[in-house]
Amino acid sequence: MIPEFGGSQWGYIVTLLIGFGFGFVLEKAGFGRATKLAAQFYLRDMTVLKVMFTAIVTAMVGAVLVDQIGLIDLRRLSEGAVTETFIWPALIGGFALGMGFIISGYCPGTSMVATSSGHIDGLMTVLGVVLGALLYTEGAEAMASFHTSGAKGFVFLYDSGIPAPVLAALIVAMAFGAFILAEKVEAMMRARAANPEPEPAPAQRHTSRMALGTILSMGILALGTLALPGGAPKAKQGDPAVVSPIGLDAFSHRLMEQPWTMRVLDLRPREACAKQRVPGAECAPLEALKDLGLGAAPAGGPALVLIGEGALEAAPEAARVYKGEVHLLEGGWAGWAGYALKAPEPLTAEASPQAREAYAWRATLNSAMTGRKAAPPPAAPTKKFTPKKKKKGGGCG
Amino acid sequence: MERSFWNPYVAGIFLGLVLLASYLLLGHGLGASGAAYRVGVAGLNTLASGHVAANPQMASTVAGGALDHWILLMALGAGLGGLFSAYTSGRFKVQIIRGPHATIATRLIFALSGGMIMGAAARLTRGCTSGQALSGGALMSLHSWIFMLAVFAGGYALAWFIRRQWI
Repeated sequence: MIPEFGGSQWGYIVTLLIGFGFGFVLEKAGFGRATKLAAQFYLRDMTVLKVMFTAIVTAMVGAVLVDQIGLIDLRRLSEGAVTETFIWPALIGGFALGMGFIISGYCPGTSMVATSSGHIDGLMTVLGVVLGALLYTEGAEAMASFHTSGAKGFVFLYDSGIPAPVLAALIVAMAFGAFILAEKVEAMMRARAANPEPEPAPAQRHTSRMALGTILSMGILALGTLALPGGAPKAKQGDPAVVSPIGLDAFSHRLMEQPWTMRVLDLRPREACAKQRVPGAECAPLEALKDLGLGAAPAGGPALVLIGEGALEAAPEAARVYKGEVHLLEGGWAGWAGYALKAPEPLTAEASPQAREAYAWRATLNSAMTGRKAAPPPAAPTKKFTPKKKKKGGGCG
Repeated sequence: MERSFWNPYVAGIFLGLVLLASYLLLGHGLGASGAAYRVGVAGLNTLASGHVAANPQMASTVAGGALDHWILLMALGAGLGGLFSAYTSGRFKVQIIRGPHATIATRLIFALSGGMIMGAAARLTRGCTSGQALSGGALMSLHSWIFMLAVFAGGYALAWFIRRQWI
């Protein structure tokens, strides 16, 4: 479950470091102290609101920005990072969690930081969270129908039709308004309270003004990203599958090396498919495709590869509902037959290293698919080969 | 000498950057309550494995490796980060944080029972203030925003009734 980062240990280290940063900042904000957290609910110290909303708008504008540049797809990232929407559990569970928050003085994350700051009440809260989670799971069966009530699938605020950058700017504006209000409320409570919180020092106020200015510019930045081209086409709600073509070369490598990462469906008529098909492919003629229930398959399954008679223009509806990658094999069955079932053209002595490699792969593939003995390798070049850098602009270098 | 806390907006910007780094490097947000659940299941499994096996949810958690999950590493990191910050700021101290009128006994009972409510609620909501409100809120998830507003509503609704605990 921990990202592998190409089989190295980096995933562990990065996870640990990000956790470290998380705990470090929470402690620096004063969240290891129940009295400071609880003061939020008595309007005396609005630090919880300020820290939380500033963090949300910062990360949000960052995510919108990298999406608009085209580095990531916001919806894809989000579907991997958040849960689906369940209206009633979110509402009732959130209300209960808020009550637990004011009773214990911590939320689950801050109770861990409180514990590591030496606070016994934090430790008690951690124990409570563990016990509560176990008790809920004990009664999970009784809760099952409520647990999934109001299920809406993945819903994001930008599914309302308002573009994400505009929404981000609106949320920044809302947060900014909330901060101004929070400052006013704190000042008012200081004037009224018998044991007031200390007045912020002038240096603190200056820092606040700078930070608030930064937050405002984030909103402007979010709006500004609208002017960017927006990178790759975006996935939309109710469009779970990203359909993309897969080349014969990429497909054949994956078929030979990692066949378990794909589910290959042959959409040709049953007789043609029964006669000859890609190894491991299922015969799923168009009319039988919807019986496979591809839409009901859980997310995170293997990639779906669809093979038509020739090149497929688009994925059929029954496959588009699949929650994962969907690929259309380039050239379809005809393309595959020409690529893998026909012996490759012999190479000439001047062939480039790329051509040699491609030839070797196709010869291997051909012998594996047809049972024919692989052709002998082409004669070694007589001249010493010096690889040349490929020039831009084409032509024979 | 105990140092003062960071300016809340500055802390918020840094917290947001940590969260953004988590999205981009790990593909998920921050989290806490999931670690508590997993530690609980792992502990219960050593004490009463038959009982855990009888509960489908716990059994599937154990089958997938109760402790083999990023959230435990993250929670460990958060504990270390909190410790480092508290220690270097002169704030590390074994003590019980409580309101001016709260007794030690009620404070600890409240801490435990509030924690239990949150532990159960976080299972229902599929995440707590870290995993839902913060991480999902920044990605504009509807679930997370409903959750976040409900958390504030729940806190404010009960605050007046238990004000003797805190003010």
